[in-house]
Amino acid sequence: MSPSRKAGGKKKTGQTSRKKPTGAARKASKKTTGKGAASRKTLSRKKTARKGPARRAAGARRSLFSRLFRFGLLLAGLGIGLFLPWLLWLNHVVTSEFEGRKWDLPSRVYARPLELYEGLALTSDALEAELSAAGYRRLDRPDREGTWSGSGGRFEIFRRGFRFDDGLQEPLKLRVTLDGGQVTRLASPAGGGDLGLVRLDPAEIASIYPLHDEDRTLVSLEDVPDLLVTGLQAVEDRNFKHHFGVDPRGIARAAWANVRAGGTVQGGSTLTQQLVKNYYLSNEQTLPRKINEALMALLLEWHYDKAEILEAYLNEVFLGQQGNHAIHGFGRASQYYFGAPLDQLAAHQVALLVGMVKGASLYHPRRNPERALTRRNQVLESFAETGLLTAEQADSLQALPLDVIPEPGLAGNRYPAFVDLVRDQLQRDYREADLRSEGLRIFTTLAPAEQRAAERAVRDGMAELAERGLPPDLQAALVMADVDSGEVRALVGDRRPGARGFNRALNARRQVGSVIKPLVFLSALEYPERYSWLTRIEDEPITLRQADGTRWTPSNYDNRSHGEVTLLEALTRSYNQATVRLGMSVGVPTFIDKLQQLGVERDVPAVPSTLLGAVELTPLEVAQLYQPLAAGGFSVSLRAVTAVHTPDGKALKRYPLRLRPLERREAVAVLNYGLTRVVAEGTAQSLPSLLGQDVQLAGKTGTTNERRDSWFVGYTRNRVAVTWVGLDDNRPAGVTGSNAAMRVWARLFRQLSLDPVVLDMPEGAYWTWVEREGGVLSASDCAGAEQMPFVEGSAPTDRSACGRRNDEEESFWSKFFDSD
Amino acid sequence: MTVIEGNTLAARLLRLWPALLVLVLGACATQQAPAPVEEREIEERVRAPAREDSAGVQVYPLKNPAVAELTDQADRAEAAGNLDQAALLLERAMRIQPRDPELLQHMAEVQLQRGQYEQALSFATRSHDVGPRVGELCARNWRTMSVAQERLGRAPQAREALARADRCMVTRPTPL
Repeated sequence: MSPSRKAGGKKKTGQTSRKKPTGAARKASKKTTGKGAASRKTLSRKKTARKGPARRAAGARRSLFSRLFRFGLLLAGLGIGLFLPWLLWLNHVVTSEFEGRKWDLPSRVYARPLELYEGLALTSDALEAELSAAGYRRLDRPDREGTWSGSGGRFEIFRRGFRFDDGLQEPLKLRVTLDGGQVTRLASPAGGGDLGLVRLDPAEIASIYPLHDEDRTLVSLEDVPDLLVTGLQAVEDRNFKHHFGVDPRGIARAAWANVRAGGTVQGGSTLTQQLVKNYYLSNEQTLPRKINEALMALLLEWHYDKAEILEAYLNEVFLGQQGNHAIHGFGRASQYYFGAPLDQLAAHQVALLVGMVKGASLYHPRRNPERALTRRNQVLESFAETGLLTAEQADSLQALPLDVIPEPGLAGNRYPAFVDLVRDQLQRDYREADLRSEGLRIFTTLAPAEQRAAERAVRDGMAELAERGLPPDLQAALVMADVDSGEVRALVGDRRPGARGFNRALNARRQVGSVIKPLVFLSALEYPERYSWLTRIEDEPITLRQADGTRWTPSNYDNRSHGEVTLLEALTRSYNQATVRLGMSVGVPTFIDKLQQLGVERDVPAVPSTLLGAVELTPLEVAQLYQPLAAGGFSVSLRAVTAVHTPDGKALKRYPLRLRPLERREAVAVLNYGLTRVVAEGTAQSLPSLLGQDVQLAGKTGTTNERRDSWFVGYTRNRVAVTWVGLDDNRPAGVTGSNAAMRVWARLFRQLSLDPVVLDMPEGAYWTWVEREGGVLSASDCAGAEQMPFVEGSAPTDRSACGRRNDEEESFWSKFFDSD
Repeated sequence: MTVIEGNTLAARLLRLWPALLVLVLGACATQQAPAPVEEREIEERVRAPAREDSAGVQVYPLKNPAVAELTDQADRAEAAGNLDQAALLLERAMRIQPRDPELLQHMAEVQLQRGQYEQALSFATRSHDVGPRVGELCARNWRTMSVAQERLGRAPQAREALARADRCMVTRPTPL
């Protein structure tokens, strides 16, 4: 049984533990009867005692004696009268807490698992980042689960077993060969055959902790290595099997040892007493507390068997502190110190954990490695002394290093911004309290290597902007998602990516400026009888009356009007006046409808200024707005969570891929061409040089009034990302789309393999040769001819002179070849 | 770059379906949950006729072996009646090749069997958008849409889709 199954068992055992109290209650009542009988005996003795002195109350000496005696009796009576209820109360505490014991288990949050296959774009650097995030250790020879070795693009990985959505996956040794930024071979090591597809176990990226901040992974007794069970007794409580909760011989032995050593070297507490101390009592060292501890230990032993007590101990004992989280139990400690489950630990590792029971901070192997090593070796000696190991075994184990992993990013919350999104998504379906206590396994979409790239892009990008003279307190946010599945791969909500607190990616509502403009053009392209990229519109001043009666006269970024321009030019150059004119002729309500179809959920005021982005959206919402465009008109909700499991691996909930086709996808495809032209010849034309690559990308810059916000949204074939840069208090920041946000965006994509945007047209749109200047059809070999996509019915009908000639030739040939 | 000349008015009408469908659906207040489509029915109504009609007009793209492994597993899950598992495996495959028309159509057929008719429509639609739009796959796209529309109680759309399936076999000229 795996620890997680056990935890599930715990939950399920609501029944067993509900059944248990009856058994225990029976025991308890038996016991009370016993005790009742005993106290009756005492009472009857008291009666006779009281009668005695009453009869002989004559002489003065006697009377003194009798008075003393009576005083003694009073004390005894008081003692019994107070002690009995106290004992009963302790009994109640011990049983009710132990019976009702259900540890709150933190939920574990996992990244998306990395799927390896030949042809996957992956650099050595990215693979190392993935392995490190998943807590894999680099060894010379990867001979255990969760280890790897590698150099020069050849990796050997010993994959861990893991329970996925679609079943249990066994451990596996594999060899991965990387070359030229992709996986070129995937095979079993040592001449084994090729492997088609290998899925690594996912990185654990966060835990959602109980409010009391205790971290634990439950283990059941049968999962615990024998050496831990026996070794723990050898070191802490040799008489555990036989005592009744307290061990007078143990106390005596400890006292003697302490006297000999002239200080405290041994504690006489039994495991039961230690459990009681951990479980019920505060940490003060007073006599009453010691008495309570002993009484409760006796009571615990009275009610429960050794196995139950030991299992509780194994899960309760304090074994270290990670940030705010107290690590309780051997299950979690094993993960935290060795990055491996308990049943995979070697003997010297078990010995270290057993040694830490005595003092988790004192013998902390990362903070006090020398003391920890000494302690571990002492423990190994005890193991040998008690015959758990031979002397030779102990000797050779003592020579081994501690073998702890570096402080893992595992359990801590390394991706606070992304985990905020996970919580947001889960809070629709789960109560916060359940997330904190039910030990859920939450499968998310985060790609650790891409997240790392995103964090670097923001950190380095912001440093660069400061160097370029922009305000040093500029803030930033970034959202990157998989285009077709809407799965969020990376998210940054602060210029210091690890910072907790205000998450701008999710919560900063900022004016979006020109990044909204493509939706105006999309609305227009849906009227093919009126608009194509070659349609000419006026970029001239326009004054509109606002709802509040004020007049609004938008100006262009360069404060000039550009006369008659094509739609394509208006978009790629981001002309405000032309865009407003186009939007007014399409109609503001049509445009607002479009926003809502594309996934903007909030109410957007139906006023002309929204055409230029006078609407506040969060970076996440902007990413949602562009996802359907990037995916050719198939909208999906951006998701951070794909599934939630119970601790024992049953799917509680799945969040499957759900596509929603937009209408008029041919207009979306044609719009995408325009957005690639923004990068090729428009406001984002410096992007290819920032990227150092000239692949076909689509994107749009955005700048708001007085340069308060800088936006860039861009996408490749498989990634859509939004970056925002601005000041938290919304002061003018001197930023533009291309001078700030686009630079951060470029820094991100420079680290990724770029899959060029593919502009295949769906039904209802097609490519043809045109001449842009004249706005006429042309042919492939005519001067100034270029290919451009059109929604059916929107292409020009006139041909250039050259195009006409070619057209005739084509018709000539088409007589010989079939044509409908 | 693929340059395929699209089709005419009918095509555009077809694209307006979703809007019409919403109207039609809105009109029928009480929609009974339709029975799921069994695999046999998919074979009879979608795959077999598409295969038959398309003799000669074939497009077989190269399959990524990783995707093939997952689709094989999905096939086995489907055959064993474990449709949720099949959908899960296909979703994994789609993370590798999100715009593989064959894969999208496969998912559409699984969604049909799961009784997820809107999703069956969506996946078949996407398969058609990115697919060859002729031949067997095209016929399977439209036949799947037809069955889905039928189960959603939209008879006219179902008939229309069936008519579109027949047109998949008409060879079209490829523009230069």
